[in-house]
Amino acid sequence: MTTPGEPIERSSGSWLLVALAWILVGIPLAWGIYRTLQTAVKLF
Amino acid sequence: MAGLLAKERIIAGPGFNRWLVPPAALAIHLSIGMAYGFSVFWLPLSRAIGITQSAPDDWKISTLGVMYSLFFLFLGSSAAVFGRWVEREGPRKAGVVAAFCWGGGFFISALGVYLHQIWFLWIGSGVIGGCGLGLGYISPVSTLIKWFPDRRGMATGMAIMGFGGGAMIGSPLADILMRHYATPTSVGVWETFVTMGAIYLVAMLCGAFGYRVPTEGWRPAGWTPPVQKSAMITTRHVHVSRAWLTPQFWLLFTVLCMNVSAGIGVIGMASPMLQEVFGGKLIGVAGALKDLVGDQRAQVATIGAGFAALLSLFNIGGRIFWASMSDYLGRKPTYFVFFALGIVLYAFAPSAGTIGSVPLFAGIFCVIISMYGGGFATIPAYIADLFGTRFVGAIHGRILLAWSAAGILGPTLVNKLREYQLARGVPAAQAYNTTMYILAGLLVIGLFANLAVRPVAERFYMTEADLEAERRLAHEAGGASR
Repeated sequence: MTTPGEPIERSSGSWLLVALAWILVGIPLAWGIYRTLQTAVKLF
Repeated sequence: MAGLLAKERIIAGPGFNRWLVPPAALAIHLSIGMAYGFSVFWLPLSRAIGITQSAPDDWKISTLGVMYSLFFLFLGSSAAVFGRWVEREGPRKAGVVAAFCWGGGFFISALGVYLHQIWFLWIGSGVIGGCGLGLGYISPVSTLIKWFPDRRGMATGMAIMGFGGGAMIGSPLADILMRHYATPTSVGVWETFVTMGAIYLVAMLCGAFGYRVPTEGWRPAGWTPPVQKSAMITTRHVHVSRAWLTPQFWLLFTVLCMNVSAGIGVIGMASPMLQEVFGGKLIGVAGALKDLVGDQRAQVATIGAGFAALLSLFNIGGRIFWASMSDYLGRKPTYFVFFALGIVLYAFAPSAGTIGSVPLFAGIFCVIISMYGGGFATIPAYIADLFGTRFVGAIHGRILLAWSAAGILGPTLVNKLREYQLARGVPAAQAYNTTMYILAGLLVIGLFANLAVRPVAERFYMTEADLEAERRLAHEAGGASR
């Protein structure tokens, strides 16, 4: 458990998990933005 | 099962990386953000019986559009009513309930389409799904603010950006699925509802089970609270049941309501305004929109759709940009920028049309919409600054009723004003000008409300005994989890 009031963040081993989590939400978001950009370029 | 969802089960263990929480929140917000994209179903549903064209028994688009009112009514109401429960029971339980409400709403709606009963859609997606929206929307707010005391605005901005981006994923996905499932006897909507309900249920459950909460007083490594404390950022807490008695609550309510009312008003009219004001100029021919022939009109409509898409990108971009900026500028100055710059831009937009500059006109609307999104994303951090972090999710839930109010005020104001002006013979392209000035007037109200915000009076803060009682109620004596 994290300790109350202590400036603790022991996270060095979990960055791979962080990257995976961001990829999982980032891919659909990037796809959605790409599709929207395809429509938006019709303005120009 | 209840134990698995309990707040004491999700207290972060040693080595937990706080950057795992924003993607968990995004998984939920990207799912519920599809609420903005439901109009993709209206046309196919309006010919669910006739298949190739509407039959007499088919639903009208106006009947289906009731869903939007229900979404935002129940989003605000459930966030207000269940905010304290979310705070007490923790984000995981709230996220799981939200997942079953939102995903389950799709399943009930699928049955409604299959049986052709509109009530199933209204109750399924509108009421039950709307409650899922409210619970899902507020579920990560308090947790993110506690994990990112150094970057409150950025943290909540990331999650709320997801709500703005959900339709960008959901709408094209729904379109692909409906084409895939369509047969000579079905428009493919009920099958699409089942598929999307399952996808959202799984995505939201993954998000809910990804939530962890820090212990009280946890701080990021290397970060110490600023020695020079700002009077506008409290380290104490106001109870949710007392927050609404403070003038600050109602001032923030007004700030959000005015910002959203003006923004919703603009979102609804930006694309038609571009087409009406510039007409043939958009495709390099002379003449107003009413003078164009079929194919030319279609080209202008495509450009209008492109403009709407561009605005949606600025809507989500503004959420993360402005909320992050508020960490440096301060919350009150950030809203001052929204209102002061907004008033100038809303008032100048008609002149940009008169000048005939499409890039200037589009640029003005892009900045306006970025500040609309920024207003949503910055409000949780503003609430945390003024009322403390203990009940930020619950107080945010109650302030979200301003969104429901704005959802009625903004479109009603714009539509009634336009009808009134057209009835008096004002040309269509000019009828937008007065509306923009009225919307700028709403921002003036918001500007003064924001300027009136001061720190909360001493008598509203919780005592140490109050806090201890709340800790007991919120099961905060439990063990750890990885």
